[in-house]
Amino acid sequence: MASETTLTWATVAPAIAEIYLAIAVCVLLLVDVFYGEKRRGLTPTLTLAALALGALLTAQFGAVTERVTLFNGMFVADELGHFLKLAGFVFVGFALLYSRTYLEQREILKGEYYVLALTALLGIFVMVSAASLLTMYIGVELLALSVYAMVAFDRDSGIAAESAMKYFVLGSIASGALLYGMSIVYGVTGTLSLDELAGQLRGELSAGVILGLVFIVVAVAFKLGAVPFHMWLPDVYHGAPTSVTLFIGTAPKIAYFALALRLLAEGLQGAVAEWSQMLAALAVLTLVVGNVVAIVQSNLKRMLAYSTISNVGFIVLGFVAGTPEGYSAALYYTLVYVLMSLGTFGVILLASRKGFEADELDHYKGLHARDPMLAFVMMVLMFSTAGIPPFVGFWAKLRIIQELWATSHPWLILIAIVMSVVGAFYYLRVVKLMYFDPPGELPATERNTGARVALGLNAAAVVLLGLLPGPLLDLCARLLH
Amino acid sequence: MLVQILFYLFGAFLVASALGVIVARNPVHSALALVLCFVTSAAIWLLLEAEFLAVVLVLVYVGAVMVLFLFVVMMLDIDLAELRSGFTRYAWLGWITAGVVIVEIVGVVTARNLGVDVTRGTVPLPEDYSNTAELGNVLYTRFAYPFELAAMLLLVAIIAAIALTMRRRPGLKVQDVAKQVAVRREERVRIVKMDPEKRP
Amino acid sequence: MNPNLLLAIVLLPLAGAIIAGLGGRLVSRMAAAYVTIAGVAISCVLSLIVLKQIYWDGVPAFNGPVYTWLVSDGVTMQVGFLVDRLTALMMAVVTFVSLCVHVYTIGYMHDDPGFKRFFSYISLFTFSMLMLVMSNNFMQLFFGWEAVGVVSYLLIGFWYTRPSAIFANLKAFLVNRVGDFGFVLGIAGVLYYTGSLDYTAAFEAAPRIAQESFPLTSTTSVEALGLICILLFIGAMGKSAQVPLHVWLPDSMEGPTPISALIHAATMVTAGIFMVARMSPLFEHSELALNFVLIIGATTALFMGLLGIVNNDIKRVVAYSTLSQLGYMTVALGVSAYGAAIFHLMTHAFFKALLFLAAGSVIIGMHHEQDMRKMGGLAKYMPVTAVTCWIGALALIGTPFFSGFYSKDMIIEAAAASHRWAAPYAYWCVLIGVFVTALYTFRMLFLTFHGEERFRTAHAHAASHGGEGGHGESHGSADAHHHGGEPHESPPVVTVPLIALAIPSIFIGLFTVGPVLFGGYFGDSIFVLERNDVLAELGHEFHGPVAFALHGFITPTFWLALAGVVTAWVFFLWKPGLADRAAEALRPIRTILVNKYYFDWFNENVIARGSRLLGRALWRGGDQVLIDGALVNGTAATVGRFGGVVRLIQSGYLYSYAFWMFIGLAVLLGWFLLRS
Repeated sequence: MASETTLTWATVAPAIAEIYLAIAVCVLLLVDVFYGEKRRGLTPTLTLAALALGALLTAQFGAVTERVTLFNGMFVADELGHFLKLAGFVFVGFALLYSRTYLEQREILKGEYYVLALTALLGIFVMVSAASLLTMYIGVELLALSVYAMVAFDRDSGIAAESAMKYFVLGSIASGALLYGMSIVYGVTGTLSLDELAGQLRGELSAGVILGLVFIVVAVAFKLGAVPFHMWLPDVYHGAPTSVTLFIGTAPKIAYFALALRLLAEGLQGAVAEWSQMLAALAVLTLVVGNVVAIVQSNLKRMLAYSTISNVGFIVLGFVAGTPEGYSAALYYTLVYVLMSLGTFGVILLASRKGFEADELDHYKGLHARDPMLAFVMMVLMFSTAGIPPFVGFWAKLRIIQELWATSHPWLILIAIVMSVVGAFYYLRVVKLMYFDPPGELPATERNTGARVALGLNAAAVVLLGLLPGPLLDLCARLLH
Repeated sequence: MLVQILFYLFGAFLVASALGVIVARNPVHSALALVLCFVTSAAIWLLLEAEFLAVVLVLVYVGAVMVLFLFVVMMLDIDLAELRSGFTRYAWLGWITAGVVIVEIVGVVTARNLGVDVTRGTVPLPEDYSNTAELGNVLYTRFAYPFELAAMLLLVAIIAAIALTMRRRPGLKVQDVAKQVAVRREERVRIVKMDPEKRP
Repeated sequence: MNPNLLLAIVLLPLAGAIIAGLGGRLVSRMAAAYVTIAGVAISCVLSLIVLKQIYWDGVPAFNGPVYTWLVSDGVTMQVGFLVDRLTALMMAVVTFVSLCVHVYTIGYMHDDPGFKRFFSYISLFTFSMLMLVMSNNFMQLFFGWEAVGVVSYLLIGFWYTRPSAIFANLKAFLVNRVGDFGFVLGIAGVLYYTGSLDYTAAFEAAPRIAQESFPLTSTTSVEALGLICILLFIGAMGKSAQVPLHVWLPDSMEGPTPISALIHAATMVTAGIFMVARMSPLFEHSELALNFVLIIGATTALFMGLLGIVNNDIKRVVAYSTLSQLGYMTVALGVSAYGAAIFHLMTHAFFKALLFLAAGSVIIGMHHEQDMRKMGGLAKYMPVTAVTCWIGALALIGTPFFSGFYSKDMIIEAAAASHRWAAPYAYWCVLIGVFVTALYTFRMLFLTFHGEERFRTAHAHAASHGGEGGHGESHGSADAHHHGGEPHESPPVVTVPLIALAIPSIFIGLFTVGPVLFGGYFGDSIFVLERNDVLAELGHEFHGPVAFALHGFITPTFWLALAGVVTAWVFFLWKPGLADRAAEALRPIRTILVNKYYFDWFNENVIARGSRLLGRALWRGGDQVLIDGALVNGTAATVGRFGGVVRLIQSGYLYSYAFWMFIGLAVLLGWFLLRS
């Protein structure tokens, strides 16, 4: 321990993202206190700049060539973590870029919103790099707390307050379950470190570990939104301001992927037989409920919430495979899904105006006639999410199915495919509404250039990654070896 | 032996008071039950030789947090009937589920001892062992990283609480002390020259 | 060889296509033309450099991946190039012809509103064709294959306001789909037996696959390699318009003339021929497949030529001639004379492009009149076109010393020398085909350029049914000025490519026959088993091109060709009345020919109507009742009901949500604790 007490650049550099972000949060908070009132746009702009700088710093100094643990084994730095942090910067940056006008029009463009987004990102990073049960738990709470506040951010909206309340209470239950499971596992094994845990759990598992495992799986399932722990998700997606829905629907998914990976696949890898069965059962329920219920939704945000649930089913299936290839498929799916939902909610944000939330399906009737670009982007995203080639969503689904095939899960493949077909229906319905239905009398769409350029890039990425899936697939495979 | 008897005694109190928190009809009673909950857990911590934590729990949670909580609960007028409507209809299902979970957990814990060997008993700590010092030692060395993160967590909680509750109401009259102090005579007193009496 | 050089050859036309196609208003009409022409011109020069390096400098063939697209289950899909002598030759031909067409297009499409679009398409086509030719794996081959198909679809339907163009491009697309279906199955077969999409791996495995058999039913089986080759060849039949998948090619004349030249003479239709030659290591090991190829090719060569005799549309005559010549190439493939096929492909590319462009020139000169009955005596008005057209015709019928002679005679000789059981049939077909070729070619020539000047009466006639001839092909003001006037020679942008193509049409055979066919030009890029090598046998009797040509005067081929010319002269120039009497006498045969052997009738009435009926039956019985009623709507209803029930669970009450979480927890706990 004595040797580690000396802090050198080399021992903190892999944590540059976290350290930088914590400092940035404090600086932004101070800037906002002193100048936020006078210059409304200052904090949002600075936040974006801070994210860009953070991404640069992380890319420059945070890279590691091999897996190292820092801070007395509390923090793990590996290539996967490095990549996920960079992705986190980018995704949050895009999310905030899309949100700005929306927030402005609803008069909730406040510095605190941006600070909370950054603390949520910090929570994501902590989870991504967690090497012990303790840091993982704190990361989960850091993210959750920031997000609860963001959901309730529009204080004049009753529905937002209601959904924040639900999210908070249910999240606390899940957090309790996580803590309970962790403490049982700690009690049985006597260690908090995930590495040591992986070393200890071999062969026959004690009943205590399984007890703890069930609680941990429940908490992970809750965070991901797997059925039957998904109930919060539609209400929160629907109730939260769309910019917040966009936020919680994107970057945190990376963290939840990391949560499942670090806790289950790495720490509890000795219990893979047990948890992969639990996840398989949850995945089946998730796919069925997510896709089927999405069909009967008339609200787009709610529909997308169920779509999220069904996509979570696929991510969980990647973990069911229980192999590094399976995890890499889940990683690929997560990244692709985040990319697509970033764009989808971005479209909703741009279609909304002051006093008008474009969140009903009917609001998209004839969108093509009113705003061809928005309709086109939405069409690309819907096709991709439905898993239609050559868009990237197709490859994501294909990878999962490949890995299920490789690990001999024919029934899961069957269910996944049938449910994808069911799912295609409600994605294509959106396209049909946009292109074939007559436009109604609706407010014009938002013309913010920056957001539009970002949206265009986003859609281009969906197309390009679909045409050239190789690099990202290779990267995901390499990161999990 | 004495320790064991005490443990089960406090344990029973803890469970009973925790139940009291959720079944009490009056929120004030709930809060008080929660206080009891904290006190009994502090007692159990004492039995585990974690004196510092026990004291902190009583000081912070019972002494500060719960008192504040009680104030708030007493000031709010909560309509109990509305809160409970619909709740009792499904209460039986809730009890059954809770029962099942309890049986399952108890089954694991008692029948199989969590699957680990817990019969070794405890090894008493040395006479000069200080829980507080030890905690202070590891908190800033081994656990420095989670500790700092916990600080971040508190910061988030503060930001969130303020952002969600602080409301700048327009038209509210507030004092600006700096302005008051920096005021000059010319701004306050206007000397008006006028005749002492109205001219005829 | 530098892979970047090869990439440049492929990507320059693509870049040109993108700039011209997506540039919008940023790119002016002429800029689009110049950009694409520059791209293709550089590409052409680079191709010639590659050809020089490969052939004269002895640079070894390039075979390697350029970009790995994806790896799936151990199958690597990548973009890669295989550039050996065969490829280098094809690249040079493709880019050169394409360049000529680009230049010609400036004149031909000058006033068309789709000027830029057209340039974008033909550049894109060049790119696709190069991708096809230069591929080193089946995946990319298939990409190029489909890409040329798509672009040809777009080009045939270029004047999309004409219903006939839309019909033609749909037809081309559908017929090619039939071929492509076989092609995909063939590729799947290769993948199944070798586990790789790479040419090298497939070629190495060919002798092994030849030993295997593929079970069709539980009792019968077929040799695996033969099946794969025939399936691949079905794809080639679609692209190279072999009977019975030839029906789209004559109709595709609805496209602008440069397209007829580009697609239907020099490049796209030769894709099938090239593919078979490229796959020679596979085909060589399967007698079954080669005999199949031989029969199809011979049938196409003779019977499609016959159709040329009765057609009156100048472009269609050339189109049927193309079909027939493609049949010759296929015959060469079938007798394992792959070199001869490629050689004929090359010479044919020149003189057929020449003939198409000459036909286009005539059409411009005649103000978009395509009916030969309304022409005649044009030689006086269009001397350059007439002379070049004569040259093309002489090359086509195989006059000694002209390029067509060497390639065509070689195919006939090869068919005679082959030992395949289908070879005698093929030999007679191609031999009679020589007479037929001469007959329809000179019929066209005489009707168009010589004899009575029928266009004067015809013009009055044409004026009455308005701009039907020049419907989409309208040349705007230029047309209006000349309407009713004399036919006129075309502008230099049209005649210069004609002259440029006429020169190789005469000489290229003379200079290249020795090295290409007998000098081992193809090296190891074409694989022929020793017992099949008819070209080597012919090589023993080959004593230089001049001797070969002189010898040509005493072969039956020459006399048959001469007979064809004389027949044409008698019937269409000397005694035009005789033609009608002959037609009257041979009415039944003529009816069959005019109806194109009833292929279209069969396709439309039997296949199309039949499948519509079947579709309707399936729709009524299967779809509406079973699938829609029970499954789809049933499913939708079930799904809807289920969704409704689940939605009830999503009550909005916090305690109910928490409650469901606990139920989930309890079930999971119970399940796993009871198990352990």
